[in-house]
Amino acid sequence: MNSDVLIIGSGIIGCAAAYNLAKKGVKVTVIEASSNIGNGGSVRNGGGVRQSGRDPRELPLVMYAIKNIWPNLSEMLDTNVEYHQQGNLRLGSTERHKQILDGLTERAVKCGLDVRMIDGKEAREINPYLSDAVTCASWCPTDGHANPLTATMGYYKMARRLGAHFISDEKIVELRKHKGAVRQAVAASGNVYEADRIILAAGFESRAIANTVGIDVPMQPVLLETLVTEAVPPMFWQMLGTADADFYGHQTDHGSFVFGLNSGLEPYAKPGKPVSSSIAASAACRGIMHYFPSLEGIKVVRTWAGWMDSCADHVPVISKVDECPGLILACGFTGHGFGISPAVGLVLSQLACDEETAVDLSALRYDRFAAK
Amino acid sequence: MNDRSRDIGEFVPQPDDDMIVCRCEEITKGEIRRAVHDGMFTLTEIRRYLRTGMGLCQGQTCTKLVKAIVSRELGVRPNELEPATGRAPMRPIEMKILAKDKEDA
Amino acid sequence: MKRYDMIIVGAGPAGLSAAIEAAKRGMKVVVYDENAKPGGQLFKQIHKFFGSKEHKAKIRGFHIGEELLAEANSLGVEVVLNAIVIGLFPEKEVTVKIDDHVEHVKGDTVLIATGASENMVTFPGWTLPGVIGAGAAQTMMNLHGTLPGKRVLMLGSGNVGLVVSFQLMQAGCEVVALADAAPRVGGYGVHAAKVARCGVPFYLSHTIVKADGDEYVTGVTIGEVDKNWQVIPGTEKHFDVDTICLAVGLSPMSKLADMAGCAMEDNPAKAGFVPTVDKYGETSISGIYAAGDVSGIEEASSAMIEGRIAGIAAAAKLGFISEEECEAEVAKQETALDGLRQGMFAPGMRGKMITETEEGVEISQNLLKKGFVADEEIERFPGVTHNTGVHPVIECTQNIPCNPCQDACPKHCIKIGSNITALPAIDPEQKCTGCGMCVASCSGQAIFLVNEDCGDGTAEITLPYEFLPLPEKGAKGTALSRSGEAVCEAEVVNVRSAKAFDHTHLLTMKVPKEYAMKARFFKEAAKS
Repeated sequence: MNSDVLIIGSGIIGCAAAYNLAKKGVKVTVIEASSNIGNGGSVRNGGGVRQSGRDPRELPLVMYAIKNIWPNLSEMLDTNVEYHQQGNLRLGSTERHKQILDGLTERAVKCGLDVRMIDGKEAREINPYLSDAVTCASWCPTDGHANPLTATMGYYKMARRLGAHFISDEKIVELRKHKGAVRQAVAASGNVYEADRIILAAGFESRAIANTVGIDVPMQPVLLETLVTEAVPPMFWQMLGTADADFYGHQTDHGSFVFGLNSGLEPYAKPGKPVSSSIAASAACRGIMHYFPSLEGIKVVRTWAGWMDSCADHVPVISKVDECPGLILACGFTGHGFGISPAVGLVLSQLACDEETAVDLSALRYDRFAAK
Repeated sequence: MNDRSRDIGEFVPQPDDDMIVCRCEEITKGEIRRAVHDGMFTLTEIRRYLRTGMGLCQGQTCTKLVKAIVSRELGVRPNELEPATGRAPMRPIEMKILAKDKEDA
Repeated sequence: MKRYDMIIVGAGPAGLSAAIEAAKRGMKVVVYDENAKPGGQLFKQIHKFFGSKEHKAKIRGFHIGEELLAEANSLGVEVVLNAIVIGLFPEKEVTVKIDDHVEHVKGDTVLIATGASENMVTFPGWTLPGVIGAGAAQTMMNLHGTLPGKRVLMLGSGNVGLVVSFQLMQAGCEVVALADAAPRVGGYGVHAAKVARCGVPFYLSHTIVKADGDEYVTGVTIGEVDKNWQVIPGTEKHFDVDTICLAVGLSPMSKLADMAGCAMEDNPAKAGFVPTVDKYGETSISGIYAAGDVSGIEEASSAMIEGRIAGIAAAAKLGFISEEECEAEVAKQETALDGLRQGMFAPGMRGKMITETEEGVEISQNLLKKGFVADEEIERFPGVTHNTGVHPVIECTQNIPCNPCQDACPKHCIKIGSNITALPAIDPEQKCTGCGMCVASCSGQAIFLVNEDCGDGTAEITLPYEFLPLPEKGAKGTALSRSGEAVCEAEVVNVRSAKAFDHTHLLTMKVPKEYAMKARFFKEAAKS
């Protein structure tokens, strides 16, 4: 099968790239290994659309997305992506927490971000449900959150409507060069897909696929876990985090709370199908109730887990590959790809069309790990 | 491989499209059928897009109903559609109870 | 972490039976159940069970539950109630909510015996209060002592729909009709017959068009369906009801197995998404077993045997018994299971059109279409014979695995033989004494004692009676036919109750003798 651009991976990155390419009239095909579109981290994350706490190298991407794309995304995708820009509170209760938050805030301010330290009292004015345990917080009023499920499926839906071709249950196992350029992707089924450009956005699986044309991105799979509660009447719209990152989350339009968890054991999860641990949700509930005692009676209805593609330096690779013309890498998002995904989809479409990118990507090149 | 661009025909409105199928999340038959025509070809995708089976009963009641609607729309047998993954907790559980976990009572 | 030899999720027939077999062999066993009462569905089953004497036939379901529980307790099984298993994690770690906390425990083996949940069907108004599952109705009546409503329409003619219809009437509800989209009654004919003779009309090839009501159900419209399951215009029938009961099948509650990572299959023959298991009930994960409805919808009797097999197999796995002992014991259980899976309603027969019995007798088409055997059909069955004086008339017309009547008769008048599904036949050489043991022993309430000619122009019919208030001797009323139609006046001439009858009363009514083979139920006249 021939296309102008082939995208491997139908996560929100792949779907957003497909949407932007299809809108340009490019003939694009997206191949998904699993049975479900957007089956990886895209539909398993906590939904943060944050600038605060981000590495300066990917900050421009999220700032661009928040300024230019997120506010109109629901309309663009004919899907309610439930975007709320009501700020991010990163909470702390000890002197050590304060030091962590001070450091994060200082670095963000240097990058020109509107973020500042506030005390417990001011934090409670912003969010009256906070307990007295909260003594300090960083506050970024332009941060927010959205619904990763509807955003991912929305990009898929619109890309498909615009003519992008999606194929699921087809696992790409190998890339092949033709006269010096990467032109073919071979599936486990034996099917061969050809394109002028191939965008590799298959999460951690990208590593093995890129290896087949002699390229390596140093990353490893790390488990992330999330829980969701029953729906309750609206309480607050801020995105929440903590200095220790033991939980993060928000209340959704639906009324449920989505919280990402962190038990500390995630890096040691067994390989294979991602499974929730028996203790992480309980630990997170204790942390959540410490800061939000009024949530103690809310019922947890579901937990899930997913793999993130944790890159060696914790920021993604979004890059053409000099020695493999035609190949574009988009992987290693390290658990914070959702907030930047609308911008990444855009710049990937620009890379594929050899256009100037809306955001400078030079800090996210593939060869930054090479011998100096 | 599952070709998401294959022709499944036009969406044809039906008289009972406004009937609720997922009671917990109040999703109608018409919404489910439209989602299929928007490319949601699996129960998991329908669930992620519409929230069917994501409510308090976790799909206990509607899974088979949604499956029947989707399979009819796609023209496949219901058992060709995989149900959504079972996930803990098996029953909704209050945070304060989940928070109190121990190894020996 | 606390470690058990076997953790069992679900204290229903499968779970308790497994616990008994495992504990009997020295295993440390805990059984968790989310309900306040153990026994699963057994505790709602107030009717007598079918089967063989060795496998609890003619015992009422809740008594079977009590027996299992007592046996488990005596063997030291820890049965923890109000205990909700919320997860089954790697290394067979179970998290269970008990009171106000969650406990982590591990089992060297785990049995998933979580049973099934009720299916629903959709129609306009199906979400109105008053539309309930038949199982839910049973829970309300038989566990909580609450009537689900006053006037009920039942959808579904499988055993659940039939049994619950009868129980609704026992509880004092009026069942206005029993409908099913299928063209034939799905459950045992004897269950249908006892509902039909109470006057409940059967509407096969009918489905619910809509439920009426703004805040709650006030009525229901049903209509006849064509072969494409579409309602034929003009066939609609309306009933004023406050309750619509749905008995449209069960689905395995298999999420725990799926969460644990067991290989699953969506198998229509097992009525849904089930873990794949081997002959011991072991899933794809070594040491995790599944038994009962969770691994395929069947009867409580087969769930008990599947549970026993899993308990025995787990004992062998952990070295409590030898492989040889395990094989011998499992073989015994399999023989019993095979016995239950015989006859017209065996799992392998689902969806097959049966026209005659194993004996070559033509099946009653009326029974399949209207719920009762017509007068002109009944004579051809081997249990229906004529004699002078009191004699049994056995209106058992389908091959089902059940034989208590054979042993009930102290005079050996009734013969089934070694094939448990054979139709009972009358031995004309033996003299019936009219003791009534056969009437009370028949779980299908299909045996009557008839004296066709008392010499004074009357006949006497003794029938099983399980309604309150119990008519008194001398009560006058109407005799109803098999179809529930009033056929003649009748007077109760005898009422017998005995411990051995286990709450089935024997009511003898006198009718004009021409109704001896027609009258099959008694309806007392309203007292002025």
